[in-house]
Amino acid sequence: MPVEVILPRVDMDMATGKISRWYVADGETVTKGQVLFEIETDKAAMEVDSPSAGTIRDIAASEGTDIPVGSRVAWIFAEGEAYAPPVEATAAAAAVPADTRPAPAPSQGAPVLPPERSPAPAASVTAGAGNGPAATPLARRLAREHGLELASVPGSGPRGRIQARDVLVRAEALARPAAIQSSAPAVPAPARPAAASAGGGLHREWLQRGEGVPIVLVHGFGASLDGWRSFVTGAAFDCPVLAVDLPGHGRSGPAEAWSLSALAAALEDAVRGEGVASAHFVAHSLGAAVTVTMLDELPVEARSLTLLSPAGLGPEINGAFVDGFLRASKRESLRPWLKLLFADPDEPREAFVAATLRQKADAASVAAQAALAATVFPDGTQAIDIRAVLGRLTAPVKVMFGVDDRIIPARHVQGLPGEIGVHLFSGVGHMPYLERREAVARLVREAVRSGS
Amino acid sequence: MDAPVRELSFAQAIYEALAIAMEADPRVFLMGEDIGVYGGAFQVTGDLVHRFGAERVRDTPISELGGAGVAVGAAVTGMRPVYEFQFSDFATLAMEQIVNQAAKMRYMLGGEVSVPLVFRMPCGSGTGAAAQHSQSLEAWFAHVPGLKVVEPSTPHDAKGLLLAALEDPDPVLVFEHKLLYKMKGPVPQGHYTIPIGEAATVRQGRHVTVVASAIMVHRALEAAETLAQEGIELEVIDLRSLRPIDSRTIIESVKKTTRLMSVYEGVKTLGIGAEISALIAESEAFGYLDAPIVRLGGAECPIPYNPELEKAAVPQVPDIVEAARALAGGRT
Repeated sequence: MPVEVILPRVDMDMATGKISRWYVADGETVTKGQVLFEIETDKAAMEVDSPSAGTIRDIAASEGTDIPVGSRVAWIFAEGEAYAPPVEATAAAAAVPADTRPAPAPSQGAPVLPPERSPAPAASVTAGAGNGPAATPLARRLAREHGLELASVPGSGPRGRIQARDVLVRAEALARPAAIQSSAPAVPAPARPAAASAGGGLHREWLQRGEGVPIVLVHGFGASLDGWRSFVTGAAFDCPVLAVDLPGHGRSGPAEAWSLSALAAALEDAVRGEGVASAHFVAHSLGAAVTVTMLDELPVEARSLTLLSPAGLGPEINGAFVDGFLRASKRESLRPWLKLLFADPDEPREAFVAATLRQKADAASVAAQAALAATVFPDGTQAIDIRAVLGRLTAPVKVMFGVDDRIIPARHVQGLPGEIGVHLFSGVGHMPYLERREAVARLVREAVRSGS
Repeated sequence: MDAPVRELSFAQAIYEALAIAMEADPRVFLMGEDIGVYGGAFQVTGDLVHRFGAERVRDTPISELGGAGVAVGAAVTGMRPVYEFQFSDFATLAMEQIVNQAAKMRYMLGGEVSVPLVFRMPCGSGTGAAAQHSQSLEAWFAHVPGLKVVEPSTPHDAKGLLLAALEDPDPVLVFEHKLLYKMKGPVPQGHYTIPIGEAATVRQGRHVTVVASAIMVHRALEAAETLAQEGIELEVIDLRSLRPIDSRTIIESVKKTTRLMSVYEGVKTLGIGAEISALIAESEAFGYLDAPIVRLGGAECPIPYNPELEKAAVPQVPDIVEAARALAGGRT
């Protein structure tokens, strides 16, 4: 990791200082303790030693200019350490390869102000330097909770350290629809495409790239593909993973009709739009019913099928949850309903509540989900039935339920065809893939192997 | 009904606690060099010799080892002595009695003996008293099981903690920062105690937890006032007791603010700040830290006599402002 050279405070009431003379030039090899430059203050002149041995780079303070105390005036790269130019320099000389970029002469360099948000030269340098990017404990925890790879988060701390706000900014950016990000402030955000109107219109994302038959993840009512991120991060799948936002959820626009068949058609469109005709499907709750319907009605092949807390196996569903969830507009009213999803009284985590709440801020999504609920769960009843279809599928099927599911009762697994594997988790609610990540991931890996 | 509250100085609050205890309990008596007619090196005992007589306010010879030894002996035989060191630096002369006798007896004698005594320990720099009269050695004593160590920052807490110390069955060292003696603050009349082992959150804030004690509490509060104008909110915890230490209050605060800084006058290395840092690193609050822990402690040198150097040797308000600003801004 390169070492910063800082303009030190050599005088108690010194706010800025002047480098009167550099003793070394950019690119020169320096030893620890070697005099690098001389500082001049009102009272004295003082020589400043090198904090470490290596090659001095990116000298960014010219002789005679006043610069604030604490400013970085150069970097020292240890022997064998790959040199990467600082971000601000790269931006200015974008097209010039780093190794041929002319080193700035000391007299031309502009002073670098002490950054509120430090630039990330070290982030680019340290990436891949062993233990992954430097991050604070809180940033690591938040990244885990948001299902973010730390490597994808630019760090704003000293030497590119990733701090909590970096993770939150990144999570926020990912949660925002791309269309809104790119639109100019004065221009209203373009309406989202209706799922049925544009080919393959549902939003989807490859959560993992790779070789082989992919896993396709389909979320449940009121959720989005973001909910799968943390599950996939720890799942050790060795194939590509695609996740889809159902109509009216996440970053997908509304559907024209809300029947299972209409939703299945939109899903098929999206999967095919990614060039996938055959996949291992993992689907949750309402998404399970949509997926099963798609496999029955449309030409998409399932190599294996894993249904988590599936809807469509019986009439009961927690109608109060559906209504309360749809109505909740703030944290206080949403949280009690989200609690019902989990068996663990400590759930849901704050990040989960916040992510769900962000979706609720989108009036179009809320309206779409209400229309969907009115069609598939009218009067607190599941008006959908996938039992007959399940019996017709030829792919290996696993069904998983939490025994303590308070949304759809686990007893719905009774009476399923004998070929279907049933897994019941005690101490688990409606979210087995979040509540028993490792076990569910292992069973999915088994399903992938058995269907390959 | 609550007792009437007056403005008293820190020294007056200690005087009042001593007087209350001596009136209430005939076993309580005072010992120390020049604490009688002279009234004590910092005029804390004042006229107590006239109120309670030379029998109970005893001038001792210039031998801290002797004085402390008599105090230990008196305590184990049923008295409740208070021994005043003129300067806590001189407790180095009495280490045998404090560390090997007072702290150990309860343990070595199967719990059949307790040593209910109080050592009063004027400490700290800022008075131009130079290297041998300005130290902050409280962490030394807080390292010894069997001793309790408290360090009040206000007249209110000085009285309450001293009365608690006088009622404690074990030896308690009360560190009194010399710069605080003249500081005034509200003090209720009559008897009350502050529990030993409880910190106080003296200012609420969202951005940085600052754990301080004694004079540093006031400097941290002043720094907090400055930074509040920049939108940076410090949460200031007054440690009050070093042994036992109130880890729960610090942990809960760090979980809220995600940033921790300790400010103390003792030498930085191997000091109170190291303990605070470690207890957070070992606790569930570790996962909430969003920046490295920062310690602001005394310089690695004896306290200089030159007044400017003396100031520079311990954290001052601008140092706290600067460090907390960098910490809150994610630049540490």
